Amino acid sequence: MFKAEIRSDTLKSVVNIISTLIDEVKFTVDQNGMELKAVDPAHVAMIEMQIKSGAFESFSADNTEIGVDLDKIKDVLKLAGASDVISIELDEDRGKLIFKVGNITRRMNLVDTSSMGETKVPQLDLSASVTVPVSELQRGIKASESISDHIALTANEAGFSLSCEGDTDSVDLVLDKSVLSELEVKSEVRSIFPLDYFSNLVKAVPSDLSVTISLDTDFPVKINFDMADGNGNVRYLLAPRIEND
Amino acid sequence: MGVNLSGVIECREVDLGYLSGRKVTIDAYNTIYQFLSIIRQPDGYPLCDSKGRVTSHLSGLLYRTANLIESGIEPSFVFDGAPHELKRTTLDKRKTRRDDAEKEWEKAVREGDLKKAFTKAQQTSRMTDEIRDSSMRLLDLMGLPLIEAPGDGEAQAAYMCAKGDVWASASQDYDSILFGAPRLVRNMTITGRRKVPGRDEYRTVRTEIIESEEALKHIGLTREQLVDACILMGTDFNPGLSGIGPKRGIKLIKDHGSLEKALKHIGQDIPDYEDVRGIFLDGEYSDAYRLNPEDMDRDGVIDMLAGYDFTESRIVSALDKIDSARAANKAKRQQRSLDSWF
Repeated sequence: MFKAEIRSDTLKSVVNIISTLIDEVKFTVDQNGMELKAVDPAHVAMIEMQIKSGAFESFSADNTEIGVDLDKIKDVLKLAGASDVISIELDEDRGKLIFKVGNITRRMNLVDTSSMGETKVPQLDLSASVTVPVSELQRGIKASESISDHIALTANEAGFSLSCEGDTDSVDLVLDKSVLSELEVKSEVRSIFPLDYFSNLVKAVPSDLSVTISLDTDFPVKINFDMADGNGNVRYLLAPRIEND
Repeated sequence: MGVNLSGVIECREVDLGYLSGRKVTIDAYNTIYQFLSIIRQPDGYPLCDSKGRVTSHLSGLLYRTANLIESGIEPSFVFDGAPHELKRTTLDKRKTRRDDAEKEWEKAVREGDLKKAFTKAQQTSRMTDEIRDSSMRLLDLMGLPLIEAPGDGEAQAAYMCAKGDVWASASQDYDSILFGAPRLVRNMTITGRRKVPGRDEYRTVRTEIIESEEALKHIGLTREQLVDACILMGTDFNPGLSGIGPKRGIKLIKDHGSLEKALKHIGQDIPDYEDVRGIFLDGEYSDAYRLNPEDMDRDGVIDMLAGYDFTESRIVSALDKIDSARAANKAKRQQRSLDSWF
């Protein structure tokens, strides 16, 4: 059993973030909320997401799994204003998920989850961690997009920087430690990442949030943030580009 | 030539460096024509060696390709195979236009009008067997992948791009989109300040990327429908209807859904339209190609180009550029998957 109501802007953020990686996903649901682990087909990035029942306007559920096509939920979201409440109900007998937006009812087939395996999550011990406003990262990306297809993230005692070096031009976004709410660095760390993945994620995160970036040299980056007033949590891992042997 | 969709297709301007680390396949005829047209002396004469052989294309292929490789791009070249019989009319027309331009060029040179001479000379560029063969020989000596298409080169390029073997197809023509290439790069081999054709002004040419899916979405047509719209306005394979340009053609297909219905609506007929459609949608292509560069034959390149009166030191510096760029690209960072950290 699953029946819930959620604000359209909350659902939109959730869908936008996950769909940067993958379109068909499996939510695991219990009475306390729902969670998801998903990895993109190239295994370059993954998302772990938890949404507590508090993120919903109303929520009641037993243990179950729901497979959905996020493109279809995007269609539903187009029908709703930001503050509209969307109701979602699982019809297990017919294998359908039913969305209601005002006087519109949209029924969609569930996606078969039997072929979706468990996503393994690498255990990483990353030495540096820094908390930055997403709006700053969004500006850094905007400045980088026509320059190159990769960016370097660096953390040292002075602060955090996002740099992008192209053929002839380069861009640096430098965030001094005075503007960072948290900075933990043992020694300077730096890794290089594909700009498209990083940019798609950062653009999907609501711009009033801050994210905690855990970083090391030539290691995946972990981007952790809370959403929906602390009722949702996202951990995003992105693999680096590394020098050839 | 191809269809002209410049006013209706959305593109994104980028630095050449944006293409770094990517395999791009180049429409060889299209690029060689550009070199033949642009690389000329002030009176319009192409670069020639002491035997009177044209060398504009070799100069372009050596120096411009060296620049591309230096930017981290991995280029390959697709050559057209036998032209489709429907392209004959277009080719004949081009020949007539070239012959006319040739006369006007000679006249302008006689009258001392250099500006006009250059413009007219640009329109006389032709692909001879000598130019095709020497281009292929040079690229081969440089170790660059060459693909001989069974039919239209752009159809082959689009096929390799759709398969994901190359990141993009590079051509000045928009036909690649019709042939189904997911991504087209324009202005890759020529960048910087260029003369506007037919006018006495210059503008800065920047490399453009066109994502076909986005471009089609923006126009509001499927690829099949865009092919239909282009058949209305005319392609290399059919003359099109008079008075129908990109805007009108697209609107007609948008309003009526397909070429058949649009033709019925305006009460006109296009013979062979199904064949033209077939050329774009079911083009001929080959799976026999390699896209990784081989070691260049340094002495071979130097011998060949010295035979065309190129200065040895300039050849060597271009080849050095290629060698050091290839070494740097090899050392370049590669994307890892998360699986490495389990």
